[in-house]
Amino acid sequence: MIEIDKIVFGDNQFFGINHMSQEKAQQLAEKFHQIENIFKVYDIAIKAGINAIMLNSNEKAKVICEHFKTNEKKYGYLNWYPSIPYPHKYSNLVAEKGIFPAINEVLFKNNNAKGVADFLVKGGTALLTKDAIKMMQMLIDTEMKMFKGLNIKVVFLQNIVTDLLLGFNIKLVFEEYCNYIRKKYKALPGLITQNLPWLLNKLSEWDIHEVVVCSSFNKIGYLMSPDVQSYIEVTSKNNSGDYQIMAMSTLASGAIVPKEAYAFINEQNIQSVVFGASSEKHIKETINLINPREKLNLSSLN
Amino acid sequence: MENKIKIGIIGAGRMGITHYSIINSHPKVEIIGIVEPSPLIKSFFSKYIPGISVYKEFEEFFQKTPLDAILVCTPPHINYQIIKKAYKLGTHVFVEKPFSTNTNNARELDHLFTSGCLINQVGYVNRFNDVFCKVKEFIENDVIGDIIRFKSEMFSFTITKQEEGSGWRMSRENGGGAVYEMASHAIDLVCYFIGKPQKVIGSTLTQIYSKNVEDAVSSTFLYENGISGTIYVNWSDESYRKPTNKVEIFGSKGKLLADQHSLKIFLKGKNKKYNLNDGWNTLYITDIFKSVPFYVRGNEFTRQLYHFVDSIIDKSIPSVCSFKDGLETLEVIDQIFNDYEVNQI
Repeated sequence: MIEIDKIVFGDNQFFGINHMSQEKAQQLAEKFHQIENIFKVYDIAIKAGINAIMLNSNEKAKVICEHFKTNEKKYGYLNWYPSIPYPHKYSNLVAEKGIFPAINEVLFKNNNAKGVADFLVKGGTALLTKDAIKMMQMLIDTEMKMFKGLNIKVVFLQNIVTDLLLGFNIKLVFEEYCNYIRKKYKALPGLITQNLPWLLNKLSEWDIHEVVVCSSFNKIGYLMSPDVQSYIEVTSKNNSGDYQIMAMSTLASGAIVPKEAYAFINEQNIQSVVFGASSEKHIKETINLINPREKLNLSSLN
Repeated sequence: MENKIKIGIIGAGRMGITHYSIINSHPKVEIIGIVEPSPLIKSFFSKYIPGISVYKEFEEFFQKTPLDAILVCTPPHINYQIIKKAYKLGTHVFVEKPFSTNTNNARELDHLFTSGCLINQVGYVNRFNDVFCKVKEFIENDVIGDIIRFKSEMFSFTITKQEEGSGWRMSRENGGGAVYEMASHAIDLVCYFIGKPQKVIGSTLTQIYSKNVEDAVSSTFLYENGISGTIYVNWSDESYRKPTNKVEIFGSKGKLLADQHSLKIFLKGKNKKYNLNDGWNTLYITDIFKSVPFYVRGNEFTRQLYHFVDSIIDKSIPSVCSFKDGLETLEVIDQIFNDYEVNQI
């Protein structure tokens, strides 16, 4: 399995997402309403040594992807870690219309004439809904369109989808997702989860390997089910050739100070950290704190 | 295997699917089958989860399979017949909110299940949210003193454009509209924290996008002991990324402001028991959360269903959200509709 970047720059700070406080989230959303402010932060992060970016496929991400594509000379070397889908788009539509009408709307609304033609070739609604795998592939393609032309290293499935499917205990869906990402996008399949021990056990039981798993990982056990101790145990026994582990929510939305947070993270058997920050000071501080022994490899990993 | 609780899921819409995923993780549960008329769901299950039977009609499912419990996730206007049948078979029931659209039916079901000693729970999930659990604890332990005034609000970006007026959500009789769908949560929190009001006045129902149902509602609740408060709910508010409940409670010793993620308390004097200062105190979800064994949509969703199953296993566990609690909210909803109809211009 290709090694993933040790530090990946995330995007929650740009989109009004803060798990600890909705007020903080709103403040950030206001700050980054101007897309130029987002580009400025990316430039600061890249200058500080970041060469890998995780980005969720929301509406704003389209503009961000375009910006990086049109400045290919400057940014062409960057590695991208898309996460799909943008869950709120679906959750509102599903609440309003029901599951299958919502999926139909997403597929038809977001595809051009050719997309719709391909869709019909693949079987159209009736057949599609009888074949969840085909439907999943169509949805992946719809979400991935905006990333076309960027160096895609890992394609992550958002935790709301991963964990829902994990509860259903369907091996085939995970297997097909991973195969499709490898084949169609020549990228590593990635799964975001809030149930890391459960997922790793299942993947191993199902004989699905060479997957990147991204999960909340912090000292206080926030958004870590069932508990922090199980995470420490399961990762300590993990072989990174089978599953590369990426930690997110390392600061638990700001509940832990960075120094303390990364002192804990650096002791764990994990391969990568995704973090989000919006000031130069915090970006530099975080890069310096993450796994200092291996920091030298950071810029040579492409 | 024989010791596992045998569960059936009635309705595989958004909530049915979420509950399936969560409850399937419980070590003492075995999902036996689901009831769902949609042929798409049936073909999905028969292809990918062939061990689970999918029935079109609940009667057939109940007839063919002995069940310990069911999760009812159907549109609320059809819940009554399902739950009544379950009662006759001695089946424990978890039902999604708002439980029913007919208060008399809800009252009858409450009576049957309570006298029949069957576990009964309504899906007001906020009662299992980490922050709102803390609010309940603070109120019960007199942290803010006697309650004087309150405000309970809920906002979401659910109905976002003109509706064609089709589907069960677009008809109040079927359980649609912002009152049954969303305000029920805000009202339930009032009933949970403060109690059921004796009188409802000044109710307004506003249409923003919908043709047949309301998109926003506000109302004032009065209590015989002098407490009063308001609710305001809007499901077409684009400024909210996620559905959010907000509660503000003013008491004789201070006040608290809470949403699903944080809790602020202003106190007139120190509270040693909870280590709270005089003046402002902020508690974030990261300070008070308790992890759950399996996470799908938030700790509260898992905690809610595990509570239901654990209550079946151990009958001494006190109920957190029974049919009686669901009935109280329906009675308040009736009062709001009635108040609006009588007093509108």
